[in-house]
Amino acid sequence: MASVSELYDVGWEEMRDKLRKWREDNCRNSEQIVDVGEELISEHGSKLGDDIWIIYEQVMIAALDCSRDDLALTCLQELRKQFPDSHRVKRLSGMRLEALERYDEANKHYDAILQDDPTNTAARKRKISILKAQGKSAEAIRELNEYLEHEAVSVLYQSAPCFPCDFHSYGKAAFCLEELMMTNPHNHLYCEQYAEVKYTQGGLENLELSRKYFAQALRLNNRNMRALFGLYMSASHIAASPKVGAKVKKDNMKYAAWAATQINRAYKLAGRGTKENKCSVKAVEEMLESMQITMS
Amino acid sequence: MGEVELSCRAYVKMYLHACLFPRCSINGLLLSSSSAGGAVCVTDCVPLLHSHLPLAPITQLALTQVDVWCSQTQQRIVGYYQANACVSDSSPTPCALKIADKIAEQFNNAVLLMIDGGKMSPDYRVPPIVMYERKDSRWTLKDKHTIMLRQWEETRAIASQMLESGDHMLLVDFDSHLDDITKDWTNQKLNNKIAELASPANGNV
Repeated sequence: MASVSELYDVGWEEMRDKLRKWREDNCRNSEQIVDVGEELISEHGSKLGDDIWIIYEQVMIAALDCSRDDLALTCLQELRKQFPDSHRVKRLSGMRLEALERYDEANKHYDAILQDDPTNTAARKRKISILKAQGKSAEAIRELNEYLEHEAVSVLYQSAPCFPCDFHSYGKAAFCLEELMMTNPHNHLYCEQYAEVKYTQGGLENLELSRKYFAQALRLNNRNMRALFGLYMSASHIAASPKVGAKVKKDNMKYAAWAATQINRAYKLAGRGTKENKCSVKAVEEMLESMQITMS
Repeated sequence: MGEVELSCRAYVKMYLHACLFPRCSINGLLLSSSSAGGAVCVTDCVPLLHSHLPLAPITQLALTQVDVWCSQTQQRIVGYYQANACVSDSSPTPCALKIADKIAEQFNNAVLLMIDGGKMSPDYRVPPIVMYERKDSRWTLKDKHTIMLRQWEETRAIASQMLESGDHMLLVDFDSHLDDITKDWTNQKLNNKIAELASPANGNV
């Protein structure tokens, strides 16, 4: 089997830089990380200097994802040798036990960390993840709630919105997203996700909020298609509601019409030259027509 | 109730969808190009989401678009599939039931298919799926003997082969389409590949 460097004609520096980029972007492309990382460590380990430790950590986590326990253990052992008392490495040991589904042992590791350092967010997150993996959803939500009540830590919030949504606690999801939007006001994804949660909760007030946040997401990133469609749909629903006055109806029809134009334009641009997209372009056109609100 | 037949194309795409996003819950729609009445033949599927399944707007959008596409291509939506992120739990979530209910409103014999992640190991012999049908306003487990996968061994081989050669990376679900609208959620390229693998001896078009 050809090596990564042969297949892609790259040198070890490029491989190292790619790994760094994936770390910074928080990518979870574990198979690629394992391929590149394993080769980098075994063939060029000595050239990496102190970078090797963070690469060991990155590759170890990716290896767990790919069920490569052999590789994960190798990386872990190197890290244990170098950093014998580290909580961070202890957490990695715990993660390996989780991957092997030895949850009780993993929990013992995390409890030990929390005894030493009760503020260790990472260990708390792992404990909640274990509950989730075991299907103990009610307990997981309880732990999460307790933690959220006592600590306003955005790191925990980041994984939190998906979580309550999975268990249909839309109110909690909205709460987490509100916190995230406060600390990350330029992040269009949080705005858009918040808008989606509000839309799902339903009711006129929530729909109006959702429309506002879809619009905000678009201001932050005018190519966010979800936000564009979301704006179209929320404005259309508001305009169609019997509870709104004439002015609100008119305004929302304007928003919906604007969104529809943008959507059509985006699809026309995307469909140019490619036969494949003819169906999506046509489907969107028809859909927009069928959802059109007529002036009454 | 009636028999349900699952085509190679539908199964392989569902399987590849689940493999493409192994840590996420994924879902999609089951389609049929056969006329109504008699057995339900699931001839195709459209992969929908791999994130935020219980959120409404994108699901509504996807359902509408797929509906429109179906009417343009003489197909109909006959069911829904989902694979849960938590491999040990293959029971339908509230959102799965909701969407399946909606589909059942338009098509009486709609099916709800859950992919059983626990049975998807490389040497699995049985189709890793659990099917539900609507009886007395509730979704009940379907009798295994009413579920047919013609040429299962061949289908299984095709799915494994495509996974090994990395073809699952070609799959586009609705979520990915929204990230890049030049991508085709009808997956024509993948459909062609599956067709090629399914009939190597024939000189079909």
